[in-house]
Amino acid sequence: MDIIVCLKQVVDPELPARDFAIDPATRRQVREGRPLVLSTYDENALEVALQMKDHQGAKVTALTIAPQATVGDTVRLALAMGADEAVVIDDPRSPELSGPARARMLAAVIRKIGRYDLVLTGCESADLVERLIAPLLAEELGAACVTFVARIDAADGPLVVRRQADEGYHVVEARLPAVLSVTSDEANRPRLPKVKDIVTAKRKPVQIWTPGDLGSMADDGGVEVRDVAIPQRTGKCEFLTGDPAQQAEALALRLRELKLL
Amino acid sequence: MESSWLRALVVLALVVVAGAIFTRKLLLVYRLIRLGAGPVPLAPPGERLRDLVAQVLGHRKVLRRPLAGVLHLFIFWGFLVLLTTIIQAMGEAFSPGWTLPVIGQPPLLAALQDLFIALVLIGVGMALWMRLVSRPRRLEGQDRRGAYLILGFIGGIMITLLLSRAGQIVLESPAWAPGAALSGFVAGAIAGAPRAVVRGVFEVAWWGHLLIILIFLTWIPEGKHLHLITLVPNILLKKARPRGALAPIDIEQAEHLGISSIEHSTWKDMLDAFACMECGRCVEVCPANATGKELDPRRLHTDLRTHLTRVGSARLAGGEAADAPALVGGVFSEAFLWQCLTCGACVEECPAANDHIDKIVGMRRHLVMEEARVPDTMGDALRSLEARGHPFRGAGLSRTAWTAGVEVKTLADGGRAEWLLWVGCASALNERNHGSLRALVRVLQRAGVEAAILGDEEACTGDPARRMGNEYLFQQLAQQNIETLNRYGVRKILTACPHCYNTFKNEYPQFGGQYEVWHHTQLLARLVEERRLAPSEAVPLTVTFHDPCYLGRHNGEYDAPRRVLAAIPGVRTVEMAQCRERGFCCGAGGGLYWVEDRVGQRINHVRTDHATATGAQVVATACPFCMLMLEDGVAAREAKIRPMDVAELLGRSLAGGSAERSGG
Repeated sequence: MDIIVCLKQVVDPELPARDFAIDPATRRQVREGRPLVLSTYDENALEVALQMKDHQGAKVTALTIAPQATVGDTVRLALAMGADEAVVIDDPRSPELSGPARARMLAAVIRKIGRYDLVLTGCESADLVERLIAPLLAEELGAACVTFVARIDAADGPLVVRRQADEGYHVVEARLPAVLSVTSDEANRPRLPKVKDIVTAKRKPVQIWTPGDLGSMADDGGVEVRDVAIPQRTGKCEFLTGDPAQQAEALALRLRELKLL
Repeated sequence: MESSWLRALVVLALVVVAGAIFTRKLLLVYRLIRLGAGPVPLAPPGERLRDLVAQVLGHRKVLRRPLAGVLHLFIFWGFLVLLTTIIQAMGEAFSPGWTLPVIGQPPLLAALQDLFIALVLIGVGMALWMRLVSRPRRLEGQDRRGAYLILGFIGGIMITLLLSRAGQIVLESPAWAPGAALSGFVAGAIAGAPRAVVRGVFEVAWWGHLLIILIFLTWIPEGKHLHLITLVPNILLKKARPRGALAPIDIEQAEHLGISSIEHSTWKDMLDAFACMECGRCVEVCPANATGKELDPRRLHTDLRTHLTRVGSARLAGGEAADAPALVGGVFSEAFLWQCLTCGACVEECPAANDHIDKIVGMRRHLVMEEARVPDTMGDALRSLEARGHPFRGAGLSRTAWTAGVEVKTLADGGRAEWLLWVGCASALNERNHGSLRALVRVLQRAGVEAAILGDEEACTGDPARRMGNEYLFQQLAQQNIETLNRYGVRKILTACPHCYNTFKNEYPQFGGQYEVWHHTQLLARLVEERRLAPSEAVPLTVTFHDPCYLGRHNGEYDAPRRVLAAIPGVRTVEMAQCRERGFCCGAGGGLYWVEDRVGQRINHVRTDHATATGAQVVATACPFCMLMLEDGVAAREAKIRPMDVAELLGRSLAGGSAERSGG
């Protein structure tokens, strides 16, 4: 089985609030000087692919669109965890791509790679949280699509997956090829790489393509971000006057007013 | 004394047979030890000799348990002194009437020998008392049969010796007789019996004495009594590494990462296993064991010995022990290995000078680096270390958030100072410790000490990674930090974190990072003593000090924080029962800060109880990890006691508002 896992590189979602900034020109989060990590659910998707590789054998290709200069750690981590090879689309504009444009580009890459039975991706990205990639990608590829997959129950015959639902799960059978968006589950907690795999990952093949290698993209996805802002939080301090008894009374009244008492 | 060729021949035959059995068994032990890897760099000879004198002749660690210590001292010195009687007996077998040259005839030696016969018998009695009546917890799990057998042997040897000496006094009135008070007393009791009976008693006792000694000799290499032979080399072959340092591995060149099979252990690890006398002192002081967990530091050595003997013997015979359990996951479960706090209480206590931490971290290295098997939450910490340079997932604070309200220069902004203040992740990324940091900075400023920080350029020293077994990640972090420090030409490092302190002081030199490293309590003590700080405002509090393991046991610094506390007017200090060398870990060491303590009692809750039991109002500490664990323990126990850093207390006593305003 050939599995392609789409991985997005994002600014560490655990970044201290102080370091979160928006570039007014691109209307995107500032990435310079911030640690870049694999988007959280993409790691779960990779783990699901690697478990399939462990259980019934599969070739796992890690695919990412990112400026080549910054992509090193992300791809190396995926290869160290156990992906067989990696494809990087070196696109300096990539952090600014919206979901639809990104899905279109991923579809073009996957078509160029050619062989695939399953495409896995995180159910949402840690930065934009659009949840668009899997459905749009399936649409582009003419593949089946299941979203919020927690785990794969069977893949030797028809593909049977467990899909997260409110207070329970759906068991879904899908034909191949299929695009699955993966959510986190105790069964797909991302593994730590073994040290020898970290060392051998440096020798695994990484193909680097440019958007030009993919042929022309029809459009930018039809969506444009017009404005982004960081919510402002303000504090207000109120002094109560009078003697302690009056202050206490005023405080009690204020708290009741604020429905805290 | 009557003798004959026959007696000499029988004695000779017995000695040769017993000697051969003993040598054969001992040779196996030696060959098993040699299966271990090397080389192991050794400490300077002077230090090793000093240890030998203090620990073997002086029984320094053994005597920490008064009853067990004194009884062992009697038996040990008795063994040395009474060796003369064995030589004497052997000589007599071949040449009737033979005595040791020079010292043999005068009554002085006989007096000494009799004294030690008495002391050894008292020692055996005390040992029986301990095993039958007082029964300390540490003796549970010891090889009981072996213990009684040894006491039986020793008691038997003494009684037969006494009887044979008494018989000899009655029959021959030897020149030494006037010195032998105890033997003389027994001689008086049997002197009235017919001469043939006395002769009979003497012969039975003499042969019995010899036989017990020889049987004991053949048995020594099999039991815990082997320490008689292995302990001296084990102390003489002390490792060169400081207590707090783990051994580096050459990741690129190593054929295996960590220990998953006996041949990955060093020969010193193996010698340790054979030096263990199963006294259980390690078990008694182990905080994991005390709170009901599986970890048993004695089993680490006894089970290793059993496994090594089984697997190693098969290997020496050219085969494999087919059904032997795996070392990691079999002999020692993963839970066992992950419960160790690396607090060093067992290492500190062990009279055989064994090192438990090396073995546990060695096996963790295999689990983490070769198998990628690590408790989930530790795995999260390791991933965070890799991605963000700190192990606190979800911290959400910047490394300089604590500086609000104090002025601290950053090296990147051109700040220059005598000291680099190394903040440490546990302080910078946990709000509780921000007050301690600010108190420290204010106190330093009062004393005119200049210190700058690295701010965002600081990364974890790698201590948690190394102790969790991820040597690879540790080395990456160490190299990165050394690069940063050297770029700024840093020479003197001051830190409020004992883990960072230990890593800089004892481990970074392994990678070329040489700095002068001070813990903040050391500098504060110095500043107070040089009168550069004058604590004058009374702080009327009763304070008990909790020793951080990586300041105390791993680096021997017990006094500096106590000296600072003693300098604060109004502070009255009380000690917990388990303090200083016996300090009880807060529960965070060895990377266990990142694992929920779910088996048995929680270690930090128990430690909080220790502090509360003193009646103190404040439990002072000098480590950001201890602080977090104690705060958690106090909250869980709803205790009245309040955890404070030593710097916070000192700050309060400096006139003119050095202290931070805080509740409580």
